[in-house]
Amino acid sequence: MAKVGVYVCHCGSNIGGVVDVEDVRKHAETLADVTVSRENLFMCSDPGQEIIRQDIKNGLVDKVVVAACTPRTHEPIFRKVLEGEGLNKYLFEMANIRDQDSWVHAHDKDGATTKAKKIVDSAVAKAKNLMPLEDKYVDVTQAALVIGGGVAGIFSALELANMGNKVYLVEKEPSIGGVMAQLDKTFPTNDCSACILTPVMVDAGTHPNIELLTYSEIDSVEGYIGNFDVKIRKKQAYVDWKKCTGCGDCAEACPVRTPNDYNAGLDNRSAAYIHFPQAVPKKAVVDMGACINCGGRKIGSETRISKKTGKPILAPCERACPAGAIDRSKAVDPDGEILDIKVGTIVVATGLKVMEKENFKNLAPDSPNVLTALQLERLISATGPTGGKFLRPSDNEKPKTISFLSCIGSRDEKHHTYCSRVCCMYMIKQAKLLKEKYPELNIYMHFMDVRTPGKDFDEYYTGALDMGIKIIRGRVGGIDMLPGDRLKVMGYDADLAQNIEVDADLVVMATAIELQDDIKPFAQKLSLTLDGSGFFKELHPKLKPVETAVEGIFLAGCCQGPKDIPDTVAQAKGAAAAAAVPLAQGRVKIDPTISEIDREKCSGCGICEPLCPYSAITMVINNEGQPRALIEMTQCKGCGVCTTACPSAAIELHGYSEYQILAQIEALTF
Amino acid sequence: MAALNLTNMTQEEVIQAVVDNGGAGITKCIQCNACASVCPVAKAGFPLFGRLLFRKLQTGHYEEIIEDASSWACQACNRCTEICPRDAKPFEIVFAFRRMQAAELAISTSAFTPLMNLHATGHAVYSEASRELREKVGLPPAPVTSIGDEKAQKEIQTLLDNGPMGELGIF
Repeated sequence: MAKVGVYVCHCGSNIGGVVDVEDVRKHAETLADVTVSRENLFMCSDPGQEIIRQDIKNGLVDKVVVAACTPRTHEPIFRKVLEGEGLNKYLFEMANIRDQDSWVHAHDKDGATTKAKKIVDSAVAKAKNLMPLEDKYVDVTQAALVIGGGVAGIFSALELANMGNKVYLVEKEPSIGGVMAQLDKTFPTNDCSACILTPVMVDAGTHPNIELLTYSEIDSVEGYIGNFDVKIRKKQAYVDWKKCTGCGDCAEACPVRTPNDYNAGLDNRSAAYIHFPQAVPKKAVVDMGACINCGGRKIGSETRISKKTGKPILAPCERACPAGAIDRSKAVDPDGEILDIKVGTIVVATGLKVMEKENFKNLAPDSPNVLTALQLERLISATGPTGGKFLRPSDNEKPKTISFLSCIGSRDEKHHTYCSRVCCMYMIKQAKLLKEKYPELNIYMHFMDVRTPGKDFDEYYTGALDMGIKIIRGRVGGIDMLPGDRLKVMGYDADLAQNIEVDADLVVMATAIELQDDIKPFAQKLSLTLDGSGFFKELHPKLKPVETAVEGIFLAGCCQGPKDIPDTVAQAKGAAAAAAVPLAQGRVKIDPTISEIDREKCSGCGICEPLCPYSAITMVINNEGQPRALIEMTQCKGCGVCTTACPSAAIELHGYSEYQILAQIEALTF
Repeated sequence: MAALNLTNMTQEEVIQAVVDNGGAGITKCIQCNACASVCPVAKAGFPLFGRLLFRKLQTGHYEEIIEDASSWACQACNRCTEICPRDAKPFEIVFAFRRMQAAELAISTSAFTPLMNLHATGHAVYSEASRELREKVGLPPAPVTSIGDEKAQKEIQTLLDNGPMGELGIF
């Protein structure tokens, strides 16, 4: 007969404030097979755990039920207590009387107490039927993958590489650097973004442990923590990077003009191009989407020899390349080259995009003098389209009056309800940089409120006031286009309680940070989930900020939520540390609460095989030549889909066996 | 009310005038309202209390508020200066604005008699009725101030006549 110990937790006032804990404890005492029933203010505290330890030590209990909060956070804590006293840790069951009871029934204390007793009944019924299970282990592939080569990915990769791990750093653009490489200066110290980022980019590019895979995308991810099989699609650059010296002669020779993403669309680049002057790796690519096959040199066609000169007829890019790296007779491969790699852990650092101004029809997006803040960064950057000269796009005149508009697309039910977190600060930065350089500029900043939580941030903001930058509390509702390329900004000054107008030469909008349009299919490839705001969801908002629901996959940077550079770097290093743990351990535990097939009972019908969301089931021919299902334990996540679908009841989900679940149901019913 | 066009205002000039009259903190105000929370002017219901006065000045409103009498209700209690988180010294801004008002003769009519008293006797508020009471309790009929001292009165008049007050032509 089982000796079940029941321990009811107050969880401070979380449970105790609603549920009559003593009543629940007394009730548990009356249940069959329950040998002890106790309560404590915090069962998870050391004194709380000690109660359980003593009872096990004294031989009073051999199965443990804790009626408290959620097993998601606290099951591992109590399992460790059992393990410490030599009891199999799977002889533990948690009754969640907080999330499923006191929190949802705070208005009905008596009802909550009754329900708590039912939940305890059910947990005890299961506990009586629990069987010991054994952890299994598999070896870890000693390599990591970092997806995304912005500041988050770079720092994660460097951190992992410096610990001695092999790291693959994948970036979809031709160069690493990400959004930070587009910024002019950084708040609150105004140091030049390129000056602090490019040396780190070079470190990543030259690190012996880092394999840089730029102009590459993730094709598929299979496997599990410790052993991920990843296919990486290396886009065809049509330039032999082994020969390319990054001189840029091909870009100069190329006659094509197509919008330049690096300059946020403010100018054009050629089809043969180098991403930006400080690119790492500094290699050219030919963008086939923009290439016009000039000179009759269709890609993939054989080189014709001129009858006149007897020399090969080449396209301008081929002719210009002093290294002979461009060969247009090479076959077109729109799919690119697939690389197969194996890694133990993955850091996702896919970054962000800012909303385009076209989303905001009331704010004159058709005017070339309405810019997103990222466009302004490029406009004032020394590597930007004007070489850092501050000229408004419509006529290259120097603006006299500028309006900054905050919360465009943020804190707005029509777009995103969240705060994009960095806009207040980067707008103040932009305003200060401009005012410093051009003191005669008239700068108006329209804020709902100014949010400056961060080290030295508020001082940075009040410094802007001292410089004569005008801060106006009130969101801007509309912009009218005026003659002479000017813009009438229609706002409201909440402090004056009065409508106001500004006739501006240039308007800068802080558009919301969001994830890329194609992030959902990418998320599906990794089985990652997005949160309500559309960012990647971390496992726990406070205590597991870099972990995900997929073991072995970690998050860093803005893909997890909007954040500034210091926070991004901190999280990137945190994600790297977390991702390094399985690599350092060398083996990972396989949870034994997974499904197993009784091959004697299996009829070989194959229903389970296509149902498995993790592709863990294969049909294998047995000695008698009959197909029988087999579950790969490293891939099974214990979801139970196969167990419920099997018509022969041949599949057991350990820890959730049929007899255990039926006992729970019985306890709830009677 | 039509929208105020900020671009057309001479904000810089108004702010400079406030600074020149002793209210250098005007650019520091972040409109947090702490000064208003302790201000007797605001509590008494005067419309143009500290925080709102500062915002009007920051945004170049001047003509429309110059005649407003709220600033003259300031008791100079200085609580605003003690509470201000930006060390903008609100009290000094109010007094700077008063100086600007006075320069435009935008002074409360009730202030003229005390000002003339000050010029004549050295006391803004002085009552002849106190003479009798003073004698009753054994004091000299006039206090030992400029009241009974023509030389002192002359000095005060010289100071007032040669300062900004003298230019107003009210004495």
